[in-house]
Amino acid sequence: MTDFDTPNPPRRDDLVQRIELMEAMIAEGRRATTRFGWIFVMWGLLYYAAIAWEVYLPAPAFAWPVCILLGIAIIQAWRWRLKRSSLPDDGPRSRSISAVWGSVGGAITLFMAAAAISHHIAQQPAVNAAVLFFLGLAHAASAFILRWPAQAAAAAIWWGGGIAVFFVSASASVVVFLVASFFGMILFGLYAMMLERRRAATLVQNHA
Amino acid sequence: MNPQDPESGTSRDDLVKRLELMEAMIAEGRGFTTHNAWIFVLWGLVDLAGWSWENFVHTRFAGQWAWPICLIAGVVLTFAGKALQKAPPGVPNSIACGRVLTVWAMMGLAMAIYVASAMINHFTWQYSYVAALLMMIGMAHAISAVILRWRVQGVVAAIWWAGGAAIFFLNSHRATSFIMLIEMCLGMIAFGVYAMMIEARKGGRRLTRAA
Repeated sequence: MTDFDTPNPPRRDDLVQRIELMEAMIAEGRRATTRFGWIFVMWGLLYYAAIAWEVYLPAPAFAWPVCILLGIAIIQAWRWRLKRSSLPDDGPRSRSISAVWGSVGGAITLFMAAAAISHHIAQQPAVNAAVLFFLGLAHAASAFILRWPAQAAAAAIWWGGGIAVFFVSASASVVVFLVASFFGMILFGLYAMMLERRRAATLVQNHA
Repeated sequence: MNPQDPESGTSRDDLVKRLELMEAMIAEGRGFTTHNAWIFVLWGLVDLAGWSWENFVHTRFAGQWAWPICLIAGVVLTFAGKALQKAPPGVPNSIACGRVLTVWAMMGLAMAIYVASAMINHFTWQYSYVAALLMMIGMAHAISAVILRWRVQGVVAAIWWAGGAAIFFLNSHRATSFIMLIEMCLGMIAFGVYAMMIEARKGGRRLTRAA
């Protein structure tokens, strides 16, 4: 690893190169997020599916574990396919963003698994609020790293939902979660997918 | 020799330069964390003060105000300390520093809103509330650990997450208090002291070079 602990200030060329790299990284990070926009949509739909199963189908205890595992399996299968194909991976440039989402995903899974096994989910509103805050935290950190106001709005929706959960009844907190999922996951994911489509169309036009 | 990548048109030298720059940035990010390690120690002590006040002073005032007062004092001391702190020579802020700072700032903001909402509604007695706080701190450590490729911080994240999960299973006020105490000592103070030691060693090296 390079030792950067020298008393000499960085040269101008160095600074220019850094700024260029920083801008490139932000652009690539955003591109990676728009490329993975479908993941937001998928998780939003899986949340809806889990709640619908819990309410209308038999064996409601399996609703969340099955839906969460299904989501993880789809993402792993897609990553495996990506690795096998020659499609370019975004690599270290979007590492910070994947670190944010990976850590938040891991924490939510562990938190919810522990809460479910110890029967704390239905009794304590702090559990439901925490999940909304965790998701808001991931959106907020990504938004600041990528300087992306649309994602900051998604973070605000999740945090607003998290606050609301503390003030409303248990049944109303489900509605809050559904609304936050719709705006903060599905709609944001669709918006990201739209940006990706537009970018792809521009690329095709430039090549033509 | 300056072989070109046929797909991106980037030369090998360019890639090597970029890699070196990235490594330098990761090193800077770690340097940034060790430089601000006193904040971990400060928050460990602030939390210990709040915990001791709540547990050892059995008055209504302590029960209601111990945590709000300690948390506000922690925020004030953090900002005061940052205002007084001098940046070390030759260590400019890089992308990694900015990202680590962003993650911790967002964690602080999320936690402040979460804690305030729970306090207003008197939900702070719930085990899941304490578990969520531990999980959130663990999350920030985990993200920093991945960005800075720092195993020690990864271990600290695991300690926080293990504590958060354990609270649910032990399901008692005494166990929750005990876990909090361990987390404050290991995940905050011990990690902060370790990072400060690294910083002090670096400071010593800087002085030796300057002499």
